[in-house]
Amino acid sequence: MSRAESTSASLYHRSVVWLLFLILLLPLLGTFIYSIASSWSATVLPSGFTFKWYDQLWSDPRFLKAFGQSLLVCVAALVLSVVLILPLLFVVHYHFPKLDALMNILILLPFAVPPVVSSVGLLQLYGSGPLQMVGTPWILIGCYFTVALPFMYRAITNNLQAINLRDLMDAAQLLGASTWQAAFLVVLPNLRKGLMVALLLSFSFLFGEFVFANILVGTRYETLQVFLNNMRNSSGHFTSALVISYFLFVLVLTWVATFLNKDKSQ
Amino acid sequence: MSFVSVEHLQKSYSGTPVFSDINCNIAKGEFVTLLGPSGCGKSTLLRCIAGLTPVDAGKILLDGQDIVPVSPQKRGIGMVFQSYALFPNMTVEQNVAFGLRMQKVKADDSHKRVAEALQLVELNDFAKRYPHQLSGGQCQRVALARSLVTRPRLLLLDEPLSALDARIRKHLREQIRTIQRELGLTTIFVTHDQEEALVMSDRIFLMNKGHIVQSGNAQTLYAAPADAFAAGFIGNYNLLDAQTASRLLQRPVSSRIAIRPETLGLSVQGEPDGVILSHSLLGNVIRYRVEVRGVQLIVDVLNRAPGDLYPDGQRVALSIDSSTLCEVA
Amino acid sequence: MSRGKWLALLCLVPFAVLFIVFQIAPLVWVLIHSVQSEETGWGLANFIKIFNSKFYLQAIQHSLEISFWSSLFGIVIAILGSYSLRKVDSRLRNFVNAFANMTSNFSGVPLAFAFIILLGFNGSITIMLKQAGIIEDFNLYSKTGLIILYTYFQIPLGVLLLYPAFDALREDWRESASLLGANSWQFWRFIGLPVLTPALLGTFVILLANALGAYATVYALTTGNFNVLPIRIAAMVSGDISLDPNMASALAVILVGLMTLVTLVHQWLLKRSYHVAR
Repeated sequence: MSRAESTSASLYHRSVVWLLFLILLLPLLGTFIYSIASSWSATVLPSGFTFKWYDQLWSDPRFLKAFGQSLLVCVAALVLSVVLILPLLFVVHYHFPKLDALMNILILLPFAVPPVVSSVGLLQLYGSGPLQMVGTPWILIGCYFTVALPFMYRAITNNLQAINLRDLMDAAQLLGASTWQAAFLVVLPNLRKGLMVALLLSFSFLFGEFVFANILVGTRYETLQVFLNNMRNSSGHFTSALVISYFLFVLVLTWVATFLNKDKSQ
Repeated sequence: MSFVSVEHLQKSYSGTPVFSDINCNIAKGEFVTLLGPSGCGKSTLLRCIAGLTPVDAGKILLDGQDIVPVSPQKRGIGMVFQSYALFPNMTVEQNVAFGLRMQKVKADDSHKRVAEALQLVELNDFAKRYPHQLSGGQCQRVALARSLVTRPRLLLLDEPLSALDARIRKHLREQIRTIQRELGLTTIFVTHDQEEALVMSDRIFLMNKGHIVQSGNAQTLYAAPADAFAAGFIGNYNLLDAQTASRLLQRPVSSRIAIRPETLGLSVQGEPDGVILSHSLLGNVIRYRVEVRGVQLIVDVLNRAPGDLYPDGQRVALSIDSSTLCEVA
Repeated sequence: MSRGKWLALLCLVPFAVLFIVFQIAPLVWVLIHSVQSEETGWGLANFIKIFNSKFYLQAIQHSLEISFWSSLFGIVIAILGSYSLRKVDSRLRNFVNAFANMTSNFSGVPLAFAFIILLGFNGSITIMLKQAGIIEDFNLYSKTGLIILYTYFQIPLGVLLLYPAFDALREDWRESASLLGANSWQFWRFIGLPVLTPALLGTFVILLANALGAYATVYALTTGNFNVLPIRIAAMVSGDISLDPNMASALAVILVGLMTLVTLVHQWLLKRSYHVAR
């Protein structure tokens, strides 16, 4: 390949990548400018800039409450999934490796059954009766557990496979450790980082969940996404400030996860 | 009086027997090798002795006590794995100390013993490193130190050298043997590499398809293979059926015959009865493929001087020392 | 079985209970009620009604059309993007990759709002294009608008899934191909594309499933006034008028059927791509 050709090729690739970046950036940039514009209607550019929308947002008690409730539901769902999925994975991979095939089918279910479909059944089953949960955060925690399951299961499985679980457990037991000691002293510490990454990424997509929250609970236990949707008729600048605040929060989480991930590979 | 004895041991996986009646005895301080192709049951036998795989029936006596009902934690057996199985979250020192920590050995005592163990494998300078900062050979030495530090009654080595490259493998096998002799530690070593087995062991158990085919020291196994499998697995025996052997030896033979390539001789003097088909130079040995009376044989000859090499197509006389012929089942 | 194994199985019970309550039971409820109707009892009445109703058929058609086109545009942009990503210097690559990663979480309600700001009736891009005389008018709340919006959230997912696949194309294959006399086109024709095909189709299938099930974006954009399957389903269980959970179940079964088909195809393609990798 001649030099001229390779520079033109590299120019092409650079432009494609920058274009991709711009496409992805545009809606965010637009929202960001809108969120700091004092007013912007029927013109290409806004007339002035201000931070008053952020001020207004972060002093709105309803927003703060929704933010807190979102945090609470997501954290609870993730704690639940760690407590349930870790022993599950351990048992499956150490005692019943054949169950892994079954699990791989089960974790496809949350993919194949969109939240809107589950909601139909959930509303009818738990709208009344002994397991009445609709309208409470409990049903959200349970649903978010199923949403996070496939991702968590896969992520931790990959980690387990990387550490050669069986040999480590065998070695620890021959050195006198009980199954529990081996699991806690040897296996768990080696999963910690992978688990953190999986948790952060799961958190960032649970935090943006809208379907279950809106259909099953709505305003009775308002999460951030539902609050955002309910604010649709208020000022667009206000909702933009909300969108940007939400995105920055998720951005920090994913950034930490990427950072941890990189650290791990070294 | 044997220190370890395995009696009528049985194991099957979901109906398929791995072995159905294994018996063997090992003396105190002995270094024995379980040798065999993959799938012969040698690793399963080792894992049964360690207690990592439950047995279906039979006894395993260690120092007179049946250890089958004893959990692996309490058997007092050390084991080194092919994959090293070092705990990646712990330093070399912490890895080696793990067994002592489980026994609740006091910190200063533990510290001393860890240092001794690391001294034994010449890795004192690496105490603070993590496994991923070590080479394969170093990892395996740490694993060895880790299994020795608890002073096990029996040491099991499951293909510990297979993942290493040739030079390190040779060095490490000498080191393992030296340490084993020094400590007088009864050791069972599993490998599929006949050279490793011959070089290292006091005694070899040759296994095939869940049976111990032959046992004995290196010389016995090498010079007197018990059957065709043993002859095929150890050395590069020329294995001839009765009919072919009769044709070659020009006398009636009633069983299969195994002939070691280095017991055959070639010369250009005398009446030539064969022809050289091809040759390859293996360093100190020249390996010829020769055809004699329609029978193809491998002949190994020492490579003494450049003039020793016969060209392909050369007609030669083959000499056979009939005392080295082995009749095999 | 040993005591340890029983204890181990016991550890699975809480998981199983939760999974049944929140995943299996609702699905079973939907399956059972899809073949029940208030008027005629057990039977396929709901499905017959769906396939005879222009309104429901339109919802299915809209869903399929929007999903197909947005997946197609999404994957084409993702292919071009991730191939070029491999060819630029690592700093730019890591940066854009990380950014795509983050924007994959930018969907649903916030994304709909962002698009209203940019492409709504008074959106700045709409106005800019109008002033430049390129378009007369643009309706974000139409099928075209939705395809653009869906395409946007397909791009980061597509890049995320395809980028590693391109990584699997090893440079030494290209080198040995060229030593064997293949030009660049022939390399792609005989090695590059065949190796990538399962990954490309697999990614397309995931994008399709992603779009088929999407509810939040279109709900937030049109307050449930655009006729696609997820909107229809939700409207019949949580809307203010005409609640009909059985009908919702029947529509849900159709949606799940489509998704299952798509998932099965994906699993099959995944197995084939492993086959190629080995």
